[in-house]
Amino acid sequence: MSNFKDRNIKCVIEILKKQNPATTKEILAMRDLFPDLCAGCTSGGDVMLAGKELAEQGYVEKKWTSVGFAWKLLKEPEIE
Amino acid sequence: MVVWERIRRDFPVLGQLYDGKSLIYFDSACMALKPVQVWEAMEYYYKYLGACGGAGRSTHSLGSETSMLTEDARNKMASFINAESPNEIIWTRNATEGLNLVAATIPLSKDENVVTTTLEHHSGMLPFYKRCKETGSELRLVEAKEDGTLDPADFEEKIDDKTKIVSFVHASNLTGTVAPLEEVIKIAHEHDALVVSDEAQFAPHQKLDVRDIDVDFCVLSVHKACGPTGIGVLYGKYDLLKKLDMYMVGGDVIEDVVYEGGEVIPKYLPPPHKFEAGLQNYGGMLGAGAAVDYLQEIGMKNVHNREQTFSRKLLEGILELEKFEVLGPLDYKQRAALVSFRPESDAVNHLDITEYFNEMIPNYKILMRSGNMCVHPFQYQIGINPGKGEGVVRASLYIYNTMNEIDIFLTELENFAKVID
Ligand SMILES: Cc1ncc(COP(=O)(O)O)c(C=O)c1O
Repeated sequence: MSNFKDRNIKCVIEILKKQNPATTKEILAMRDLFPDLCAGCTSGGDVMLAGKELAEQGYVEKKWTSVGFAWKLLKEPEIE
Repeated sequence: MVVWERIRRDFPVLGQLYDGKSLIYFDSACMALKPVQVWEAMEYYYKYLGACGGAGRSTHSLGSETSMLTEDARNKMASFINAESPNEIIWTRNATEGLNLVAATIPLSKDENVVTTTLEHHSGMLPFYKRCKETGSELRLVEAKEDGTLDPADFEEKIDDKTKIVSFVHASNLTGTVAPLEEVIKIAHEHDALVVSDEAQFAPHQKLDVRDIDVDFCVLSVHKACGPTGIGVLYGKYDLLKKLDMYMVGGDVIEDVVYEGGEVIPKYLPPPHKFEAGLQNYGGMLGAGAAVDYLQEIGMKNVHNREQTFSRKLLEGILELEKFEVLGPLDYKQRAALVSFRPESDAVNHLDITEYFNEMIPNYKILMRSGNMCVHPFQYQIGINPGKGEGVVRASLYIYNTMNEIDIFLTELENFAKVID
């Protein structure tokens, strides 16, 4: 089984594949769709960290909007 | 007189530019930054000693200096909280371990009860919840008021002659509420109940005198008091510590383990050593000693006075914007140096707010924590639903912060209020 961080990265990708772009709030609300991937405390810090990592690596674009950050999947990373 | 600019210079983290920006560190309630003096004390251990200390260990030069210095650190910690004896100071990994230790080892029977509050950090709540589940004892919850204050009358209602332990947080990491500890201790003692106080957020900021307030046990989080991570303190009155059962057993807690008639018979050391099983975090102990030396040198009264001025400004500044709901009492005198808040409009998630302040402010990174601060029950109680991703943002202060930083933050918060729906 993949580690905690990788699972959260997959969680963000799977959510963005369903809705692209999505705000932080929307991503957090959709965690229930992928309970095996979206791990960690309900407050969502782990998902935020995963999103930030994807943004830093250029897979996701993160943009400020009046309802918070919007996250857009640009390309899917290759993870097994 | 304290030269606060000099104090700030003791924290090199704050002197750096991170991604080209200056840091405004408003997350000391999670973890305080460490002054040079602390890591120099730890470096001394790792560079020049690196050996084992403690009861019955190596007596060569490096071992004996390690033992001497770590016992000296214990003395410093005892003096920091005015314990009667250093034997009342037990080194733990953190405050959480101290709370677990007391909850797990205190004699407790099914017909007795434990009283705690809805405002507890999970580290204060869950050890007692778990123990009560195991013993079948009742866990009685005093509900904090909507404004996060705790009323002694509510404790009076819950505590009776069957109450074994009353455990609660002296300064809340969520609402900043400073609890009426002394009044509750008096009520508890009238019923022969023991009091455990969670000093993680109080002791780093205000003078804690365990003898004066007559608390039975308390825990400290050294990493919130300028000290290193991985080390905490459990204080207990010596006679009570003697009565507690072992928590972890193994090396260093024993006087002897006799083998007789085909059986082993352990003879345990008295406190504090009976609770410090295995080789210890010696570098951390030295860092803890240096941290409390550092704070004592500034003077806890000076720390408190400065923080109160700053937290008043922070609290009143946020309230004046009239765009944010603030958790906890609105009188700055009733609070610790932290403010948890959330926008009145719920358009933006708390994580977006901390990320905005981390990334979107020109020239600065304002570092705060958001979420539920490990105090979910109280948030459910007041209608914030952690299960739905709702939460708050917390700005928390310490000795290295400046009024200018608070001004910058308040200006940026006002700007932020304009850019959200
Ligand atoms: C009020 C309170 N109690 C307990 C703890 C746990 O402290 P530690 O990390 O030392 O276990 C914290 C940490 O945030 C806290 O704020």
